[in-house]
Amino acid sequence: MELWVGAIILGFLYAFLTLGSFLTFRVLHFPDITVDGSLTAGAATSAVLIAAGWNPFLTLGLAFLAGAAAGSVTAAINTRIKIDGLLAGILVMTGLYSVNLHLMGRSNISLINHTTFVSCLEKINPGLPAEIWLLVCLVPIMALFWIAASLFFKTDLGISMTATGNNPTMAAAAGVNVERMKIFGISLANGLTGLSGAVVAQYQGFADVGMGIGTVVTGLASVIIGETIFPLRSIYAKIFSAILGSVVFRLMIALALSAGLNPIDLKLLTAVFVLGALVLPGTFAKWPKARAAFAGFPRSATNLRRIRIALPGVAIAVLVLWSAVHFSQHGVIGTKICRIGIVQISDHAMLNTTRESFLKEMNVQGYLEGKNCAFLYRNAHSDTATINNILDDFLRQDVSLVVAISTPCTQAAINRIKDRPVLFATVADPFVIGAGKSDTEHKPNVTGVYGAVPMDVLLEKVRATLPGAVRIGCIWDPSQINAVVNVEDFRKAVERHPELTFVGTAVSGTSEVYQGVLSLVQRGVDVMVLPPDNVIYSAFESVVKAAKPRKIPIFITDVERIQDGALAALGYDYTSSGIQAAHLAERILKGEDPGRIPFQKYSHLTFALNTEVARELGVKFPPAIVSSATRIYGDKSAPCLGGLQASTEKAPSPGRVRRLALFHFTDSETVMRAVKGFMDELEKGDFLRRHAVKVDRISAQNDWNLAQAIARDIVRKKYDFVVTLSTPTLQMMVRTNREIPAVFGMVSDPYSLGAAKTPRDHPANLTGVATSPPVESALKIMRELFPKARKIGMVWNPSEACSEASMHRARKAAPAYGFELVEATAGSTGEVLDAVKSLAAKGIDLFFTSNDNTISLAVGSVAAFLHQQRIPYFSNTPVHVEQGAFLAIGADYEEVGKETGRMTREVVSGKSPKTIPILEFVPERVYINRGLANEYGVKLPQPLAEHATFIKR
Amino acid sequence: MIRIRDFHKRFHAGSINEVYPLRGINLHVRPGDFVTVIGTNGSGKSTLLNAIAGAFPPDSGTIEIDGEDVSGKKDFQRAKHIARVFQNPFVGTAPEMSIAENLHMAHLRGKKKLLRLGLGLEQRERLREEVRQLEMQMENRLENMMGTLSGGQRQAITLLMAVVAGPKVLLLDEHTAALDPKSAAQVIALTKRFVQNGGFTTLMVTHSMQQALELGNRTIMMHQGQIIEDISSEEKRRCTVEDLLDKFSELRKKERLTAEMLERLRRSY
Repeated sequence: MELWVGAIILGFLYAFLTLGSFLTFRVLHFPDITVDGSLTAGAATSAVLIAAGWNPFLTLGLAFLAGAAAGSVTAAINTRIKIDGLLAGILVMTGLYSVNLHLMGRSNISLINHTTFVSCLEKINPGLPAEIWLLVCLVPIMALFWIAASLFFKTDLGISMTATGNNPTMAAAAGVNVERMKIFGISLANGLTGLSGAVVAQYQGFADVGMGIGTVVTGLASVIIGETIFPLRSIYAKIFSAILGSVVFRLMIALALSAGLNPIDLKLLTAVFVLGALVLPGTFAKWPKARAAFAGFPRSATNLRRIRIALPGVAIAVLVLWSAVHFSQHGVIGTKICRIGIVQISDHAMLNTTRESFLKEMNVQGYLEGKNCAFLYRNAHSDTATINNILDDFLRQDVSLVVAISTPCTQAAINRIKDRPVLFATVADPFVIGAGKSDTEHKPNVTGVYGAVPMDVLLEKVRATLPGAVRIGCIWDPSQINAVVNVEDFRKAVERHPELTFVGTAVSGTSEVYQGVLSLVQRGVDVMVLPPDNVIYSAFESVVKAAKPRKIPIFITDVERIQDGALAALGYDYTSSGIQAAHLAERILKGEDPGRIPFQKYSHLTFALNTEVARELGVKFPPAIVSSATRIYGDKSAPCLGGLQASTEKAPSPGRVRRLALFHFTDSETVMRAVKGFMDELEKGDFLRRHAVKVDRISAQNDWNLAQAIARDIVRKKYDFVVTLSTPTLQMMVRTNREIPAVFGMVSDPYSLGAAKTPRDHPANLTGVATSPPVESALKIMRELFPKARKIGMVWNPSEACSEASMHRARKAAPAYGFELVEATAGSTGEVLDAVKSLAAKGIDLFFTSNDNTISLAVGSVAAFLHQQRIPYFSNTPVHVEQGAFLAIGADYEEVGKETGRMTREVVSGKSPKTIPILEFVPERVYINRGLANEYGVKLPQPLAEHATFIKR
Repeated sequence: MIRIRDFHKRFHAGSINEVYPLRGINLHVRPGDFVTVIGTNGSGKSTLLNAIAGAFPPDSGTIEIDGEDVSGKKDFQRAKHIARVFQNPFVGTAPEMSIAENLHMAHLRGKKKLLRLGLGLEQRERLREEVRQLEMQMENRLENMMGTLSGGQRQAITLLMAVVAGPKVLLLDEHTAALDPKSAAQVIALTKRFVQNGGFTTLMVTHSMQQALELGNRTIMMHQGQIIEDISSEEKRRCTVEDLLDKFSELRKKERLTAEMLERLRRSY
C-alpha cells in the first residue's frame, strides 16, 4: 500500500516538472536539457534555506526563482547568442553542477531534523496514516494547480506563448517579442522544475547534488504517457494528462519493482519506452490521414515500414546490450574442480527458499564455493526466453550439473541439455513437462524432487473452515503449465461435492490479475483459492486488493505469502525440498547415474493460518483446523483460534520466519567485504536458523532513485529488521522507516546526516556502527616513515560528502605533523590523473587520498604514474594497495561488517536499538606493498613491521 | 505615411555570398495610397517590404512611418502599425491553434499581452462576424485547427488577421502567388474590398502586370535594388500591360535584361 501511495505522491510532486516539460517540449518546441540542473538547483535552494531556519513554504518560491534563473540563462544563450537550444541546455546544465555544489556547500544536505512542508502538514493531521494524509492534502493542491495552469494558457499571455512556439513569424507579426517570450516560457518551465526539486527534497528528507540526473527523460516520459492515455486537444485535458502522466510514470516504476523486475534494467526500459512513444504517435500525428488509411496512404506506408525496420533493430540492440551487461557481471570463472549451474525463473520467495536451503546443504556436504566447487547462480527474471540464454551460458562454461528450480526452468533444461545431468527442484509435476513416465522410468540424465500441493487436501481445509454451500473462485494463467494441471485437479475435487460451485477465470500476465479477481467477485464467489501459479503469486497483492474490501477469504498454496493477506496457506516446506535436492546432487556428483535415481516426492506439508485476516473477516477457525496448523501468523491467542492454543503448541510450530533486509548502495569490493563479515557473524553458531531469521540482500546499484524505491519497498514488505551498509542507504531508511528496528554500518559520520544527534541520542528504532577513516593515523605513519617529507598532495571530489569530510580532517591535522597540504580537485574519474599530475608538478613528496570514491575508480593509473615519479602513495582504503598503492591504513571493513553483525545479533535477540548506543569503531589495519617499500628504501619500525599485512605485487 | 530616404542594405558584406538588394531607395507613400510593386526576380521587391516591416535595420538611410523615425526599431515594435501577408500561406498563421485563437492574436497586435482571459463569449461573437465577411462559410468553424484549412482559406484568414486591428500600413508580398486561380481571385477580391473600406496605406508586390495595373492608384517598378519607374494614378489609367513590357524591353536595350527574362515575362502575361 505504501508503495502505491508513495508513488502517487511522488507523481504529484514531479507534476510541476512534467508541466515544465510540457511547456518546453510541446508548447515552445524547445528541447530543454537544463532541467537536469534546475531540478537540483531548486532542491538545493530549498534545502539550504530550510537548514538555515527559513519557512519551508517560503523556500518553495525561491526554489522556483532559482530554477527560473537557470532557465533564463539557457534561453538567453539560445536567443541572444544564437546557440543551438540543445547545446545551450547542456552548457547550462553542466555549469549548474558547480553552482549547485557551491550553493549547498557540500554534496548532500539532510532535512531530517528540520521543518519541511511535509512535517508542517503532518502537524494538522487529524489521525490518518502520514502518507495518506499527505496524499489527501496534495489532491486539492494539484486540482488548483491544474485549473490555474489551464487558465494560464487561455490568457492573452498564454495564447501568445502558444503562438510563439507554433509559428514565431506569425507571433512576431502580431507584435510578440518572440525572443523575450521564449526566455519567459523557458524560465517558467525551469521554475516549475525547481519547484518540483524543492518539494521532492523536502518529501524525501534531503537534497543531493546528483538527484537531477535523468530529469529530462522523466519529464518527457511523463508527458508522453499522459498524451497516450488522454489524446485530447482541449487545454484542460492536456494539462490533466500531464499531471496524470507524471503519476502513472511513478506507478509504473513501483509496479515494475513490486513485480520483481530486475531494477538494473529500469533505466534502459524507460529510455526504450520513451523512444517508442516518440516514434509511434509522432509519425501518426504528422500525417493525420495515416490513421484512417493504415495501408493505403503512401506516406504512412513508408513510415510504417520505417518503424517495422527500426523497432526490431532497437529491440535487438537492447537485447545484445542487456545480455552483455548481464553476462559480463558474472564472467568466466577460472579452472575449478566442479561447477554447478543453478537457474531459477524469478525471485519468488519459495524458489529463493529452495535455492538457499540447497546451497546451505551443499556447503554442509563439503561443497565449498571457491574451494572445490563453483556455484553459478542465474535468475531469468520471469523471462522464459532468458532461460535458454542462461542454459547456453552454462554449456559454454562447461558445468557438470544443472540445477533447475521451478517448472519453466526444468522444462527448458530437459529440452536443451542432453549430455550432462539435470536436477530439478520445486516442480509440481515433472511428468506433464515430459521429464519421464514414472518415478523410476524417466530421461536418463534427469532426476529431481517434485510435489504438487494436494488440491483435495486444500479443498478439505476450505470446507472445514467455511461449511455449507460455497462458491469457490479460482484464477490462473494458462501459460503456466503446472497451474493448469492443479486447477484441473482442484475442479475435479470441487465437483465431487454437489453443494460447492467452481467459478474460474484465466488471465494472461500479472496486469490482468486485479481485473480477473474483480470479475470473480462480481460473479459472487465466497472464497478465493489460488493453486500454485508463478504469475498469480507475483501479483498476489492485486488479489488481496480486490478481495479484501468484499471480505472474501483467500486460501493459498504458498506458505511464504501467508502474511500478505491470505487467510490460510497449505504448501510444502521448501527448505526441506532444497535439502532433498542437495542430497540428490551429491549422489550425482559422486558418480551415480541420474537415470537410475528415482524422482523423489516432497514429504513435508505446512499449513499456516493468519489470525489477523481471520479477525478482519470475522472468521472463526474450527478446532480441527487449528490443531492441524503448523504455523500461526499474528496473535496466537486470538479469539478466532477458539482458545485452542494448547493444541497448536503441540504441533511442531517453528514460529514465523522473521525477515531481515540487508540493504547496501553499491556492489564495490569494499562493500562486499563488509557484507561477508556481516554474514559470517550472523551465521556463527547457526544463529540465523535458531532465531528463524531469513536475510534478503538488496543492492541499490549505485542509483539514488532506486535506493529510494527500495527503502519504501522494505517498509511496505514489513521486514522485521533492516541493516544498512553505506551512507546513502542509511539516509534513505531514516526517512522512510520509523518502526522497523534498524542497524547501520559503513557510515563515517551518522551525526552530520541527521540520523542521530549523539551516540546515545538517536531514534528509538535505530543504532549502528560509525567508522571514520583514520586520516590522522595515516599522517602519523607518513611522518614516521618519511621524516624528511614536507609536502603532501591530495586529490578529492567536492561532490562527495565523505571525501570532503576527510579533507577537512587532513587540513586540520597536517600542520601538527609538520606537513604542508597541496590540494587538487577532480569532479570525475577522467580528471583524476590530470589532478595528480598537477600535484606532481608542484613538487609533492607524498600522495594521500582518503575515502574518495572517484579516486578509487582510478587507483590503477594513479598508482602507476606515482610509481614512475617515485612518489609514495598513501591511502585509507586497503584494497588500493592491491591495486598499486604503497601503503594503506584503513578500517578493515570485514571487521566493520562483523561488528555490525554483532550489534544486529543483539537486536535480533530482542534488545531494543534504543538502549544500544552508536559505536565508534575503527579497526585500523595497515597494508604495505613490500616491493615498493624496498624500492623507496623505507625502513619499517618494529611494531609496524610485525602488525602490517604485506602485499606482494 | 511612409517616407524612405536613401536606404541601403547589404547582406553578408565582405563575404563571397555578398548580396546588395537595396541600393539607395527613395520612396514617399502618402496616406491612403495603394501602391503595387513590380520588378524582375531579385530586384529587391520583397526586401523592400521586409525593410519597411523591420526585419533588419538599414546600413544607411532612414525610414519613417507616420512621421516617426522607426529605422532602429524591430519588427515586433513596428507591428502595432504594420500588418503583413506573406506569399506562403503557412507563414501567416499558427497551424496548431484554432481560427479563433489566431484571430485573437491579430487583435492583440500592438497591445500588451497580459494575464487576462481575452477569448470570452462576447469576443468570439465578434470574431464570428469578422469571419463572416470572408463569405467562405468558416464562421461556424472557429474552433477548427488552422492546419486543417486549405491554402486559400488560410490566406483569407491571414488577410483578415492583417486588417482587423486597423493597421496604418498593410504589406502584401505576392500573397496570391501560391494559390490556385480561383482562390487567388477570391483573395484579390477580398483585398480590394478591405483596402477600400479600411483606407489602409498599402504596398502590394505582384508578378502579375494585369493586377499591378488594375489595383491601386500607383505602381512602382524595381530593378537591381532601385526604383526605376513610378507610375502615378493618371498614367496608370492610360498604361497597358504592353507598355509595361516595353519598359522591361528598354531595360534590355540597356543590357540590363536578358532575352530570356523578357521571354519569361511575355509568356506569363
